[in-house]
Amino acid sequence: MTDDQAGAVFGALADPMRRRLLTAISAHPSTATELATAFPISRQAVTKHLNSLSDAGLLDREKAGRDVRYHVTPAPLSSAVSWMAEVGGQWDSRLARLAGTLSEPGAGPPAQLDGSGPGAARAGQRGEMPR
Amino acid sequence: MPDLIERELSLPASVADVWRAITDPHWLAGWLADEVQLELRPGGEASFRLGDEVRTGWVEEVSSPAEDRGTGCLAFWWARDDEPASRVELVISETDDARTWLRVVETRPLEVLDLIGVPLGGYGPTRFGPALVAA
Repeated sequence: MTDDQAGAVFGALADPMRRRLLTAISAHPSTATELATAFPISRQAVTKHLNSLSDAGLLDREKAGRDVRYHVTPAPLSSAVSWMAEVGGQWDSRLARLAGTLSEPGAGPPAQLDGSGPGAARAGQRGEMPR
Repeated sequence: MPDLIERELSLPASVADVWRAITDPHWLAGWLADEVQLELRPGGEASFRLGDEVRTGWVEEVSSPAEDRGTGCLAFWWARDDEPASRVELVISETDDARTWLRVVETRPLEVLDLIGVPLGGYGPTRFGPALVAA
């Protein structure tokens, strides 16, 4: 993969909605119409995202009657890209949990309010995590 | 070019609360993993359990917002067994509306085969960096 190709792939995957669309298409090859039904965005917005994923070489188009069905192209998903998609998705989930935790009234760590629970005792100890 | 992901968001809490949320193992257990151990000093050991998965690592840099004009930074390395380690950097800063801006960067250097914490030379506070260890 050249740097230009990699840049296009990273750019395409930078958007959370495009990652969600790519994930959905990897599970089920879909048309823009089907995706617009499944996602809370217009068909026009779906098409725009699909074009940028296609331009990055992440999707293949296949004619399906009067519509176009999109498949995931495995080739450009090098280990770098799949790492970014996986790790990016993990951070999206974690940060949503963090924002949720901090938004609650009296925000604090779950199941421990006085700073002296078992977790506090563990903090600072070494190498005792069960495998 | 290292593999890199970056996220930024505004959090509805003070910088002191967010600092606790990203450094206190109890708080970390509420969003980062199920169980977290973190020795909060450069070179300190860290482990993170999420379900059956355990990641181990070490702390590279800690600077609390109390010491650094409302800007805090925690950088650590973590890895699953037999996988290349990646570096996580969490930087927080106060915003004008009494919220806190959080920036997360996770990078995976391509050439690192194994990681150990070694002190880096130079001026200023001791910093620890990755060392290349031939397989």
